[in-house]
Amino acid sequence: MPTEPVVVVEQLGKVFQVPVREPGLRASLKSLLHRETRAVVAVDAVSFRIEPGEVVGFLGPNGAGKTTTLKMLAGLLHPTSGNCSVLGHEPKGRPAALLRQITLVMGNRNQLQWDLPALDSFELNRAIYRIPRADFLRLRDELIELLELQTLVDKPVRNLSLGERMKVEIAGSLLHQPKVLFLDEPTIGLDITMQKRIRSFVADYNKRYGATVMLTSHYMADVQALCKRVIVIHHGRILFDGALASLAERFSLDKTVTVRLADGEEIKVNAPRGEIAAATGKLLAENDVVDLTIEDAPIEDVIERLFESEPAK
Amino acid sequence: MTRRDDQRTGAVRLAATFLRVGVMNEVQYRINFFIQLVQSLLTIATGLTALALVFSHTDELGGWTKPQLLAVMGVFTMVGGLIRTVIQPNMQRVVEDVREGRLDFALTKPADAQVLVSVRDVRFWQLTDVIVGLVVLIVALVQIGDSVSARDLAVFIGVLLVGLVTIYCFWLMLASASFWLIRMNEVQELFDGIYRAGQYPVGIYPGWLKYGLTFLVPLAFAITVPSEAVTGRLTWQAVAVAGATTVGMIVFSRWFWRRGLRRYDGASA
Repeated sequence: MPTEPVVVVEQLGKVFQVPVREPGLRASLKSLLHRETRAVVAVDAVSFRIEPGEVVGFLGPNGAGKTTTLKMLAGLLHPTSGNCSVLGHEPKGRPAALLRQITLVMGNRNQLQWDLPALDSFELNRAIYRIPRADFLRLRDELIELLELQTLVDKPVRNLSLGERMKVEIAGSLLHQPKVLFLDEPTIGLDITMQKRIRSFVADYNKRYGATVMLTSHYMADVQALCKRVIVIHHGRILFDGALASLAERFSLDKTVTVRLADGEEIKVNAPRGEIAAATGKLLAENDVVDLTIEDAPIEDVIERLFESEPAK
Repeated sequence: MTRRDDQRTGAVRLAATFLRVGVMNEVQYRINFFIQLVQSLLTIATGLTALALVFSHTDELGGWTKPQLLAVMGVFTMVGGLIRTVIQPNMQRVVEDVREGRLDFALTKPADAQVLVSVRDVRFWQLTDVIVGLVVLIVALVQIGDSVSARDLAVFIGVLLVGLVTIYCFWLMLASASFWLIRMNEVQELFDGIYRAGQYPVGIYPGWLKYGLTFLVPLAFAITVPSEAVTGRLTWQAVAVAGATTVGMIVFSRWFWRRGLRRYDGASA
């Protein structure tokens, strides 16, 4: 049976008008009278499609346009150009029929009532989404079980740790069984164990309910664990859209060797995986090394390289 | 059931659920009841002292006798309590949410955004002001001595509700202004300052202030008009003006809110 794509994005663009002001009092006063704005292109003619049940990683450094794209898909921002549709609806204008089927989780913000136990917030979500009681209770208990929230849901949210809060947050945003999950940096600021926990939950959830997931992150590990497909975005443009495996092949082969010398100086060398042994040997032979680390090049560097490899239009 | 009816019952049900959960939660913090009660009593004591001071010099103020003004003070305290219970906490949260970008969550819910942001918070213990105000009002009515008929009482409750709606609309406009101004931290102090003017009937103020307190900040409809209803001073003209202004404000504040939302759609990063 042929299926319609869940997300269709065509030549989508978003330009913000940002006020500009020189520093200093005189400039402040001037801007009171005449406000100058500068156009900042956050998303520039982006196109892609996402099929039902896909888990797609949206990768890019801060300010790349990931969140802006996600917000346009969730109806929070109106595109300045191009089109997008989610589950056949245009998100602009936020039709209830669409909002009932999607959810938005933002890692750095929380939406549960701060002073209430999560169970009460869940109850409020039930009212907002008008979830039938039986469905609500079944799914609630299932999520509590899956995320191991038994001891957390009856405490006021403010008393939970960052990671606990995120788990509860995720449970709350899935009670209406959304078909599409927009997860914006869901693991930001969490420790490694909690990051893993959340990743494995998202993977399970996707398998169990067949939900489509769009995840933004600047942690490569999130994407590696969850997504077969990645879209790399930088300066508002798509640099790469394809299988994770081919991205890794092409760009993530670099490693960084850092050595600390006896006099306290640090030397960093980037080298492709195949040449790393030779590069390390050379470093060790030529310097008085007291400490040595070898790690994968940070995602920002990988993306920067990806960006450089594409000629600017 | 039409879609519109459905939406309306949805809004009422949503408000009821939020109210129930909010109250259940606040009841746990019983100490707040006593703190609020003390605060309410202190405030009313200050008000009564001021009133006593005024009447040590004169027998009436702008055509209002002492017990009548006491009734105004009762209504003023009650209405203030109701505003701080349900209107102010929600509207302040809108201002905060806009500044911190958290409004996104309210907007991605399949419920009317205005309804949703208006029912999220309830400060149950602020109701102590309503109790204290009610006691003052009853004392005042006993002093006046005229019996208050069931009809008067119904009209009183009616115009009180209408008045609260105008205050809600006014606050919604203030909160919506934060879509443009972003920094509106002092807005509550501003409102509290203006609200204090309502402890006297707006009729005693000079013309410009009187109109300001009627149509700009609709204290007249929230406090003076209900006070008139229980002191036998209410005219049908006043009710008509209050009704018409309220309808106008409901329409205008919703329009202003939606305009603000459109700006938010276009500008927030």
